[in-house]
Amino acid sequence: MAEFSWDVRSPLDRALVSGAHGAHGDAGVSLTEIRDFDLIQVMARRGKAADMATAAKARFGIAAPETPKAVRTADATLIWSGPDQFLVLSKGGGHGTEALAQPFASSASLSDQSHTRVLISISGARALTMLAKLSSIDLHPDAFPVGAAAATSMDHASVTLWRGNDRDGLAVFNVLVFATFAESLWHTMLDSAAEYGVDISHSEDMA
Amino acid sequence: MRITCPFCGERELGEFTYLGDAKPVRPVAGASEDEVFDYVYLRDNVAGVMSENWYHGGGCRAWLKVTRNTLTHEISAVEPAAGAGAAKVGA
Repeated sequence: MAEFSWDVRSPLDRALVSGAHGAHGDAGVSLTEIRDFDLIQVMARRGKAADMATAAKARFGIAAPETPKAVRTADATLIWSGPDQFLVLSKGGGHGTEALAQPFASSASLSDQSHTRVLISISGARALTMLAKLSSIDLHPDAFPVGAAAATSMDHASVTLWRGNDRDGLAVFNVLVFATFAESLWHTMLDSAAEYGVDISHSEDMA
Repeated sequence: MRITCPFCGERELGEFTYLGDAKPVRPVAGASEDEVFDYVYLRDNVAGVMSENWYHGGGCRAWLKVTRNTLTHEISAVEPAAGAGAAKVGA
């Protein structure tokens, strides 16, 4: 029997070149790919939305979002992804399918999305200006504060978008995009951000 | 044209797909050939207010029932289609 050596690589392995891109000087936009995360889709079974909410509260100590929002626990982020469903984003396997199977056994179906999405974190003084080119929704702080989330599209690709906690006084936007669309969206993001100067990196740390 | 998704809020048309008349109801099993023919093929060509199915595929992936005036594109109501979002529909 043939032996395989599976090598887990990011879908952006080829496209992502760390360092400076675009206009010289201070980078207005930072693009960081976050690698090696656990992402579980939790979707209520028919008529079990209330039970799922109870199970989520018991498991995470905080209510799962029922409107387009992202909430954080000590070691996970719960992101609304549609009616009666949310995503659990975490690291280290503590909230993987095996860990969540029992708590949600009678209320929700789980689907492991860890390797189906790419997570891109966008920050910097010009992040909002750059994202305005890609998103048709209003990302102004009054309309899209910290913790706001949206299931939307960017450049025709479905994305899950949410605003994380500010870093150095600046907004941080997170985008989850399907793995096979990631390289295309990545190049579009680079093109959109080039005029502001881009700082490109990847990280293992969840922001 | 923009559609206000009951789950996501107001979004651009590009996030939605039109699925046609929301009126036809699937006949019961064993219905006559005429009833099935009507359901599959016959559609009213409404000039005015009609009920339509739309799919928010570029967003929350919910099915929506949109009341739209085909002459003016005015949308007077958007509600979740049966089965979309149990919490809101109670299905």
